[in-house]
Amino acid sequence: MERILKKFFELTANPYGSLAEWKEKNKKKVIGCYPMQLPEEIIHAAGMLPVIIWRSNEPVTMGHAHIAPFNCGLTRSFVDDAVKGKLSFLDGVVFYRMCLQAQSLPFIIERNACPSYMEYLYLPALYPGASIRDYLIEEFERLKKSLEEFGGQEITVQSLNRSISVYNRNRRLLAEVYALRREKPGLIKGREMQAIVNSSMLMPKEEHNRLLEELIPELKKRSPADQKVRVVIYGGLCQTVQPEVLDLIESLGMVIVDDDMYVGSRYFANEVEASEKPVESLANRYLKKLPPCPTKGDWETDWTDYVIEIVKRNKAQGVITMLVKFCPPHLCYYPDLKRKFAEHGIPEVLIELEHEVISLEQTRTRLQSFIEIIGGV
Amino acid sequence: MEYKLNRLKTTSLIGPMVDKHWEGLRLAKQKGEKVAWCSGPLFIFPYAMNMKCHFMAGYAAYCGGRNQADRLLEIAEDDGDLPDTCSYHRLHMGMAAAVEKGIPVKEEVILPIPDLMISGRLCPEMSHYAEGLYRKMGIRVVGVDAAPPHREEDMLPMERFFERQIKENLIPALEEVCGRPFDYDRMSEILAVLKKTAELRNECWEYFKKTPSPWTLWDYGVSIAPVFYLMGNPETIPYYEKLKAELAERAEQNVGAVEPEKYRLYWDGWLPWGFLGKFIRKMAPFGAVPLVGRYPWEFFPHPERIEPYPDPVRTFVKQVYSDGGLARANLPALALPEICKWIETYSIDGLIMFSSKTCRMWNMGHPDTIDEIERRYGIPGVVIEADMVDSRMLSEAQIDTRLSALFEMIETRKKARKR
Amino acid sequence: MSLMVAGVDIGSLCTKTVILSAERKILSFNILRSGAVYRGAAESSLNEALKTLGFNIKDLKYVVSTGYGRARVPFADAEVTEITCHARGANYFFPEVRTVIDIGGQDSKVIRVNETGQAVRFVMNDKCAAGTGRFLEVMAGALGVDLEEMSEIALYAHEDIEVSSTCTVFAESEIISLLAGGYEKREIAAAIYKAIARRITGLTGQIGLVEKVAMTGGVAKSGGVVRALEKKLGVALLIPPEPQIVGACGAALIAREKALP
Ligand code: SF4
Ligand code: SF4
Repeated sequence: MERILKKFFELTANPYGSLAEWKEKNKKKVIGCYPMQLPEEIIHAAGMLPVIIWRSNEPVTMGHAHIAPFNCGLTRSFVDDAVKGKLSFLDGVVFYRMCLQAQSLPFIIERNACPSYMEYLYLPALYPGASIRDYLIEEFERLKKSLEEFGGQEITVQSLNRSISVYNRNRRLLAEVYALRREKPGLIKGREMQAIVNSSMLMPKEEHNRLLEELIPELKKRSPADQKVRVVIYGGLCQTVQPEVLDLIESLGMVIVDDDMYVGSRYFANEVEASEKPVESLANRYLKKLPPCPTKGDWETDWTDYVIEIVKRNKAQGVITMLVKFCPPHLCYYPDLKRKFAEHGIPEVLIELEHEVISLEQTRTRLQSFIEIIGGV
Repeated sequence: MEYKLNRLKTTSLIGPMVDKHWEGLRLAKQKGEKVAWCSGPLFIFPYAMNMKCHFMAGYAAYCGGRNQADRLLEIAEDDGDLPDTCSYHRLHMGMAAAVEKGIPVKEEVILPIPDLMISGRLCPEMSHYAEGLYRKMGIRVVGVDAAPPHREEDMLPMERFFERQIKENLIPALEEVCGRPFDYDRMSEILAVLKKTAELRNECWEYFKKTPSPWTLWDYGVSIAPVFYLMGNPETIPYYEKLKAELAERAEQNVGAVEPEKYRLYWDGWLPWGFLGKFIRKMAPFGAVPLVGRYPWEFFPHPERIEPYPDPVRTFVKQVYSDGGLARANLPALALPEICKWIETYSIDGLIMFSSKTCRMWNMGHPDTIDEIERRYGIPGVVIEADMVDSRMLSEAQIDTRLSALFEMIETRKKARKR
Repeated sequence: MSLMVAGVDIGSLCTKTVILSAERKILSFNILRSGAVYRGAAESSLNEALKTLGFNIKDLKYVVSTGYGRARVPFADAEVTEITCHARGANYFFPEVRTVIDIGGQDSKVIRVNETGQAVRFVMNDKCAAGTGRFLEVMAGALGVDLEEMSEIALYAHEDIEVSSTCTVFAESEIISLLAGGYEKREIAAAIYKAIARRITGLTGQIGLVEKVAMTGGVAKSGGVVRALEKKLGVALLIPPEPQIVGACGAALIAREKALP
């Protein structure tokens, strides 16, 4: 078990080396996908390895000659990596328009990383109307065609369905790990859980599935830590949380029972149904309104209700907001989330996730005050 | 340096026209008229239904110009909004909070709570604002996704998608709210007026080519409303006629808007609506004049292609996408060729990239654009980090330093070229 | 002396100690400028406070530390955050208070308090320097006056000007250019207070302002800030006689609860 977790930690801490090595060995193309909603299955079916773009461990330096500091950490870090030449192993990058950062980014990446393949999808907002679905399918078809051209390999109904089933298997296994944690909070540490999901984004799903199949029975043998104050974390759009922040939460006497995070339960939510029209099935997954995603333009489904539901289901005592600094979709939503949590009497604390963390002292004060409010002193 | 700022007489006519527009909106409810709030270029549709309609960026600019933006932003923050959020978004949340809770604000900026919110998702924030107001007040929303394309080949599929949403979602929603069929004839009439006004405006653009230029980008900036949210208003035609006549007269007499004129500038991003005076007073003493910019150029740069009849929706959709400036202005990849064109057409000496801290639509890609232009034309540029309406994000000292740096760079280049 | 407890608040600028009796009476207090070594500062401040009473550390039944250095006080029996402590302390001085504004050296907080002195919600500004003690010091430095003087001269401001920037670096250069532009120090000082008040109002907006409102922390001694804030918020601020010790007092109250449940 420790061996597998160690592998996950190593991969997530330094994906560059592992991916370059994998590519060398397997002679396959690696395609970076901008989070959070791209249909990775299509890339997989084209015989390439889709990986989700990550945030590096380094502070942004040279990148700031190309992007202003008041943009989100993932975007700045990606530009920084591109400028520093750290992404040369990527054969291609696929973007889509989910937020303003992602909207103008291809221009900068194209000029500074010059990947041999670049595609940009205009995945629509979840506005009502048939035109949305048709256009979405058109966009997925366009991606499929352009990948076929780039890879020289046809994507058939069979191959796409095969990829879908590999991905579904992964979703199911991850959901199983989450169920374990819900049942016995403390069984899996926050940083472990994050690495488990994050590693799925960075390695072939087949391999991840194998590792999870091995890992799950081992995890079951663990005995959970003592009962503590139960909390739910949510937010963290597109990017991971510094593991130290997750450690801090636990060391202060809280236990994360569940989450609504991108590098978390959102990533594996909703399976894709196998069908004769797999591209449409993929579109159907995108069109799902739950979990509510603030980048999708759906005004009717209330994100707060969804988080509150998770809190209640898990009998959690509080919610921790993981707000990526300078992330507009979450920023615009936050006042309503905060207000509604208060209305429901759910204690909430805001943690702003910055890419460059100088000191965790203030985060500690926030979190410790939070637990003093919930648990008393 | 001794300098003179020659103000145009015609632009003073804009104030009353704009005031009338917002007043009409304010009083609409009392008159039993229906009201919409709109983001993105879609207000023409409620206009065609005789609804009064607000326009997100236009309203923000209006508040900025009336010095009321800070107050509204403050109300928004008091209501829980965080300062990193798009300031136009915050401004609207502040307005809604003020109306909802009866917080006192200047009467001229008060907006009525709408019957319909039109979310034209040209920028995702424009959708967030509609979503936020829906959650706050439960107002009916209709959404139209309108992404700007990265490549020319994406233009047509997006244009078709845009058109379908208008026909299948927006128009039926308007018909429902108003209880009568959509008025295509009225839409054609509006487009006919717009065509005429924008053609006159294009003639005015010609005067930017003159040295010294008889008007500045700021003058044009305050004259945008007639080719945008005042579209269809018959007063917009005489406005541009007068403007054109005044420019012709100045050109004839060789009078520049800034005298002496030394540096001709391109201005990228939003115009600093809350601080137009401040900026021009910083530039004019150096003889620097902003002349052209990608934002003010996005409004129907090809009016000659507007065909109000027989299909106003079709021609409008094309104006936004394949025939237009809007879809080409908003992303750096497609804007770059346009910027190159302007540099040549208007003999530009330097670039100012106005990087709004909270508007990620217009703050990305600036350094790379400067690099590219520098490589092609040997023209320098600087980035100024600020905001279009939030005064707290403006640092005078930073602006002064960057502007001086730009003018010094232009000087050095000019000298080097002479040698 | 039957029972004595202490609260020690180790802030970024000063260390404060409050000694409390079993009857919740403040027996003595001390304020000391913290050096780089928190540990030494905590001990010295505590010893100073005890000395006036003729006691030493051994006589204390329970010690609670708070503030940024709270984790590094080896003799403390427990550590509690300054949020909880300021809430408790403010309730001690003014039981009717429901909102506490605390402006410290490095950050500022707004805390919603219930009738028993428990914090129920809070917001914290630790990203932006405006609205902190440090900002005030830097600005006074740029004006070339000390803090008291600055507060004094601002009273005589005639003209309304703005220091728009809330970033210390920006604001400092802005002040220098305002001075160069011929503005009087008194106007600039008033503008600085306004900028701070606006920043704090933004914070209160996030949890809502419920009366009555107390202000704690060293900056509450600055008449300039208090006046600007009262004007902006439209409420009168309750200020304890020694606002700097409210956190330490809250810590001592918690120590008292722990020692005598
Ligand atoms: S974290 Fe937020 S701002 Fe950054 S890319 Fe994701 S959605 Fe956009
Ligand atoms: S981010 Fe920019 S373009 Fe988008 S709504 Fe805000 S101001 Fe407008």
